[in-house]
Amino acid sequence: MNDTVTTTISPDVRQRHADCMALIASDKCRASFSELFDFYAPRVKSYMLRLGASALEAEDLAQDVMVTVWRKAGMYDRKQASVSTWIFRVARNRRIDKFRRASRPDLDADEPMLRPPDIEQPDAALDRVQIEETVRAELVKLPPEQLELLQAAFYEGLSHSEIATKFNLPLGTVKSRIRLAFGRLRGQLEPEGGDADT
Amino acid sequence: MMQQPATSSYSELYSAYAAGQLDPAFALLLETQSMLRRDVRGALAASEAVSGFMLETTEPVQMSAGAGARALELIDALESGDSVTATDFTGDAELACLPMPLRDKALEAFDAAGWQANAPGIRRMKLDVGSDLEIELYRIQPNAKVPRHSHGGTEFTLVVAGGFSDETGSYGPGDLAVKGPDDTHQPVGDPGEVCFALAVRDAGLQFTGIMGVIQRVLGR
Repeated sequence: MNDTVTTTISPDVRQRHADCMALIASDKCRASFSELFDFYAPRVKSYMLRLGASALEAEDLAQDVMVTVWRKAGMYDRKQASVSTWIFRVARNRRIDKFRRASRPDLDADEPMLRPPDIEQPDAALDRVQIEETVRAELVKLPPEQLELLQAAFYEGLSHSEIATKFNLPLGTVKSRIRLAFGRLRGQLEPEGGDADT
Repeated sequence: MMQQPATSSYSELYSAYAAGQLDPAFALLLETQSMLRRDVRGALAASEAVSGFMLETTEPVQMSAGAGARALELIDALESGDSVTATDFTGDAELACLPMPLRDKALEAFDAAGWQANAPGIRRMKLDVGSDLEIELYRIQPNAKVPRHSHGGTEFTLVVAGGFSDETGSYGPGDLAVKGPDDTHQPVGDPGEVCFALAVRDAGLQFTGIMGVIQRVLGR
């Protein structure tokens, strides 16, 4: 069964999601929230289930993530990330918090990573939109066998050796395939291409 | 000096971070480094873009009936009892200059216990990030000497501001010094500016699974 990519959303829809975020932040727009909820809540639920949450936990976490999206909408900056990437970070951090809650009851829901970086030097400013565009453009071109490895690594959080076991591949093959794919996503023709800055 | 390039061979580290599987101490180290180094920042941005894409294209699982309406009710309850907590910058003014998210953790630790004197001109403060690893922020005054020491395990030290030098070389903002169990060294603060450094120690723990990634990728 191929459960990797279903469908990507069009640039128009992505734009629209970003507009929804802006409207939530500026006008507390409930219609915009509902639109985002309908799209993202079932995906966040799916993510939580994939990572081992029970159906009940997954549903609760998805609710929780979406309420956080409402609260933190003002921190979203479309020049920093797509809404999908931003909501993924919220979901990831909620999941981490949930596991830690037992020992840290007072953990604040304030995710530092949701804030735009505050000490970026102007000359070193990063075009994150461009990075994300390159990643997306390359991801849809990847062969399924590379895509499913990336999914296991970047989405399910498996280590390379866990991936080797799961897909019954030699570790070296896993490493070289992921290295190659990640290099392409970063716009490098050669996987180890020059990172000569700094 | 140990430079950690952001090439794709580090993708295992970045994917572990993006997927939320990195130990919180290392996650904070990497986040801090990404604020100091453009190449690392780019690699993390690309990694999270991959994760975001995966979320977007994942097969959705239907929420239960009325879930959206319940979320709006939760929001109403929240809005009525609204109490916005402002970030408190009353801590040490120096710490307020550290990059996020390290700044919050440092201010938290400052309020809780504050700096501990370690040696003349050297202060340190344990951070609480919910990790089993030791994570400490060091403040090294210009020309101050950290007492010579070795490590029970591997120590990863990220320079956040200023710089220090030891027998192996000089380290500036964004540089990561990695010392193995058998290394002893005596870092000295570089002249001019106070040095802040973030140290993560594994205290001899042998990591397995995803945590082993750190030792394999960085600890060599």
